[in-house]
Amino acid sequence: MTETDGSERPPATLIEPIDMSTLDASFRREIQSMPDGDELSACFACTTCTAACPIANQWEYKPHQLIRMIILGMRDEVLSSKEIWECLTCFQCQERCPQKVRVTDIIFDCKNLAAEEGKIPDAIRNLARELLEKGQLYVITADWEREDLDLEPELPGLSTEEFKTILRNTRTGRIVGGE
Amino acid sequence: MPTYNLYMGCSVPANYPNYEAALLKVAKALDVELNYMEGVGCCGSPNLRAFDYYGWLVVNARTLAIGEQNGHDIVTPCNGCFASLKDALYHLRHDKKDMKRVNEELKKFDLELRGTVRVRHVVEALYTDVGVDAIREKVTRPLDGVGIAIHAGCHLMRPADVTEMSIEILEEMLRATGATVVQYPLWKQCCGATVLPVNEALAVRLARDKLRSIKDAGAEFIMVVCPACGNQLDLQQFGIKDTYGEGYDLPVLFYPQILALAMGMDEEEVGLSMNRVPADPILDHLTE
Repeated sequence: MTETDGSERPPATLIEPIDMSTLDASFRREIQSMPDGDELSACFACTTCTAACPIANQWEYKPHQLIRMIILGMRDEVLSSKEIWECLTCFQCQERCPQKVRVTDIIFDCKNLAAEEGKIPDAIRNLARELLEKGQLYVITADWEREDLDLEPELPGLSTEEFKTILRNTRTGRIVGGE
Repeated sequence: MPTYNLYMGCSVPANYPNYEAALLKVAKALDVELNYMEGVGCCGSPNLRAFDYYGWLVVNARTLAIGEQNGHDIVTPCNGCFASLKDALYHLRHDKKDMKRVNEELKKFDLELRGTVRVRHVVEALYTDVGVDAIREKVTRPLDGVGIAIHAGCHLMRPADVTEMSIEILEEMLRATGATVVQYPLWKQCCGATVLPVNEALAVRLARDKLRSIKDAGAEFIMVVCPACGNQLDLQQFGIKDTYGEGYDLPVLFYPQILALAMGMDEEEVGLSMNRVPADPILDHLTE
């Protein structure tokens, strides 16, 4: 081997080397078992998803990297990333994937796994609380505006109780209750 | 007479009753029966899908099961509701195990979902079942020469295997009013509404990119078919003025408002004053 300057530093690389001992090989199977993960391993890292993403330029982990990280088993990094929650869910990456990987849907799956572990942004937790309390995202406040337009002041047919009952017993209830 | 189950969602009735009113008036003029669904609630939006997939499946399966009972298609004016219902149905049709599990939950409400119901955006239903020729016949004040850019909205268009939509439907519907469809480079780009809760600055940037692309292409107005997109592209124009010092002055109108005006209805009937960026210029065109 050629002698260099004699220092013990690792060689310079384009990205930080991945510590193999921290990888979780079961993460790939976990995602594949979820509703949209069938095609995950068809990814050949062509980066088309990243080229299609309108916000990848400000992400540390680009869409193709997130998919590669899932395949490698970088579970903590993916589930703790801000990127999965900033995903616009615009489906442009998924639409253009030549391998039919359901990229956006897989990011939805990641958010569900993260939420199950309590890794959820405060703004989203607040939204969960509001959904549970109000039984809907938006509540009619200006009923006079509706009447001016010949509409019923309240929304005909609306019933919010069933929505609350269902979500109290699913993860939404656990997220809000487990604060 | 075409008859539908109308799933209004929560955003249109609370934030954009002008969209709701214009839709009902247009439907009546086209001899279409829209019946508000009984006993339904919120779809939870893609936000709910993000943190509680199963809960999101059940609440939407319940709505689908109610719609299935009378055999009429479910139509909605909101892309968020459209995506939730359509996506949940797509999944349940392809996953027998989840369909069985969800139906166990629905028993508590004396409901059962077989998966035969159809979910459609109301504008697509008008396009397919009424048709542009019949719509054009009702246009008495055509918007000839008015350049309008269409923002379809991501959740209406993608993923295509789930949504079964095409942009040509919206383009033909807009042309039926006499208006010209203005093409612009960023026509597919997200309005930014979904990222508002976690990163407002990013949401503003996305709206700005979109508005600039539309303005540069020479459009005078923007057509939307979703309350979240409408809110984002309309309201953020004021935020963009503050943050970037740029004024776009692009009125944002819901499709039924545009059609209603072209059919001769007046501005009050379609609640034009509720559109935040003043939409008066469209009236100038109509009175010319």
